[in-house]
Amino acid sequence: MASVAIRGLKKAYGSVPVIHGVDIDIEDGEFVVLVGPSGCGKSTLLRMIAGLESISDGEITIDGRRVNDLEPKDRDIAMVFQNYALYPQMTVAQNMGFALELAGRRRAEIQAEIARAAEILSLTPLLDRKPAQLSGGQRQRVAIGRAIVRHPKVFLFDEPLSNLDAKLRVQMRSEIKALHRRLRATIVYVTHDQVEAMTMADRIVVMNGGRVEQIGQPLDLYDHPANLFVAQFIGSPAMNILPAVAVAPGQLRLSDGSVIAAPPGFPLRHGREIHYGLRPEDVRFGEGLPGHVIDVEPTGSETFLVVSVAGHEIMALAKERLMVAPGDPIQVALESPKAHLFDAKNGLRLRLPDAA
Amino acid sequence: MTLASRFFRQPGSAHLDPILVGLWISLIILAALWIAPFIFIVFTSLKSAAEVMGSSAFSPPADYAWENYSAAWQRGNFTTASFNSIIITAIKVPLGLFLSAMAAYALACVRMRWRKLFFVVVLFGTMIPFQVMLAPIFRQVNAFGLINTYPGIILPYLAFGVPYQVFILHGFFSAVPRELSEAARIDGASHFVIFRRIFLPISLPVLAALFILDFVATWNEFAMALVILQDSDMWTLPLGLMAFQSQFQSNYGQLNAAIVMTVLPAVIVYLIFQRYFVAGLVSGAVKE
Repeated sequence: MASVAIRGLKKAYGSVPVIHGVDIDIEDGEFVVLVGPSGCGKSTLLRMIAGLESISDGEITIDGRRVNDLEPKDRDIAMVFQNYALYPQMTVAQNMGFALELAGRRRAEIQAEIARAAEILSLTPLLDRKPAQLSGGQRQRVAIGRAIVRHPKVFLFDEPLSNLDAKLRVQMRSEIKALHRRLRATIVYVTHDQVEAMTMADRIVVMNGGRVEQIGQPLDLYDHPANLFVAQFIGSPAMNILPAVAVAPGQLRLSDGSVIAAPPGFPLRHGREIHYGLRPEDVRFGEGLPGHVIDVEPTGSETFLVVSVAGHEIMALAKERLMVAPGDPIQVALESPKAHLFDAKNGLRLRLPDAA
Repeated sequence: MTLASRFFRQPGSAHLDPILVGLWISLIILAALWIAPFIFIVFTSLKSAAEVMGSSAFSPPADYAWENYSAAWQRGNFTTASFNSIIITAIKVPLGLFLSAMAAYALACVRMRWRKLFFVVVLFGTMIPFQVMLAPIFRQVNAFGLINTYPGIILPYLAFGVPYQVFILHGFFSAVPRELSEAARIDGASHFVIFRRIFLPISLPVLAALFILDFVATWNEFAMALVILQDSDMWTLPLGLMAFQSQFQSNYGQLNAAIVMTVLPAVIVYLIFQRYFVAGLVSGAVKE
């Protein structure tokens, strides 16, 4: 297993830059998830680590060795693709043994590796099947098996669960996590699904438009997003963002004119424009501003409410069952010590002076 | 419901579908039109001269005149002609297919400059009618001193076979998911290994189809062979058949026996390889 260091990495297709200088340090044995909306460059970044895309500028090192100009096979990595990319004419065993066979390993050795990987992934009864005879989950396990047998320094996963149905996805999620614990492997995992990122990662790299927005542990990103983008991307449903202006000390005026108290401790200049961010679970009911219910989505354990208040539609999450119907008037408290303030111009989160 | 009437209904419908009935009737008529000459040839090849004159064209032979075959074989010098046909086809067809497959792989999967230009140049070969090229090719082959030789006929055959095979295979290879060759690259495969171990096996149905088409075309090719193979010892079966026909035109039994013997190998190859037409070898490679 190995560490991966990415320094000032850039990628351009012709004159179109797609990665604008990315720095990431991945520690030995760490599970790092690259997450971001489609087109943010996360897959390109992964393919650059794999050696499937050339590097325009910057450097990638694996275990201290510069790999920029190495062929994929010489980088000591293994990759699992979204569409599995199994060799259709080969059996499961042949698929898993292909890399070892090409490396010229002895047959007995290859058999032993295949048997070990099949054991880990419960594929032993399927070793003689062809990919066409397998279900989606089984195929993805074979693809993972193909990676395991090589004992690579780094595992690369490119949206491996996106083609699976919801139930299987949850199951494979915990299987991959268990695999990570068992192999103590360094894993770089790409997904657009922030829930997947939150549940699996040791650390998350949030990317947007070819740049890294923030790197951090899942709950850290949730509690302390660096900027508006991360605040809205991490968490489902997303954080409510309300434009506001600082008026009298400690007070914010929302766009419809209603005034709420700012979270304590922020020295806000009069007239400063900010964005007020509030997670759905921090919205309280029964006091505060008047509004009305637009939609109710009970999930059983909790209730999602879409309410109209202060000229905005906001999403709220109530742990208790609320007996309300669309159209009902409701009092909504937007003030919360957990609210975040973001600079309206650059989107950065304002930090408390003593904490910063 | 009888077995026959099942074919004339839509699934789950109790009524006859007039369109289905019409389609079946057209199908049967067309099939009859196509099979009639074969029946005529096979029946006639087994009739004695007297019976050919005395019976209707489509009546089955009264006694089987197998001697037509041995006589035609000897008189037409079919031993030499078959040998030539087999040599030329056995070298040209696999070699041409292999070259086309490699070229198509390179054009579809190897990153290089001018790739599109190369592809267009190759495609240009499909646009030139073969007949237009007969005279220049004759001069070319003559200049190389290859008239009346196997290379003299095999090389032009290859040149004319490759473009359309590259065209078909390029389309097929381009449709193979990129991740498949990327996975193989990560597994340590070179381009040649990816070609041989991944692309050739999954394109078996296409290769089989091209093999049949090319085999039949090469086996039956007449015009180029006529121009380049002038010595009767170098003749292929179609040339032998033509010579036989001009000499023994009136001997219908033997003539049709000669035709059957010329066509039979192509039919056999077709029947052997057509089962590979069933596609589906790629299924399961990636999620569609």
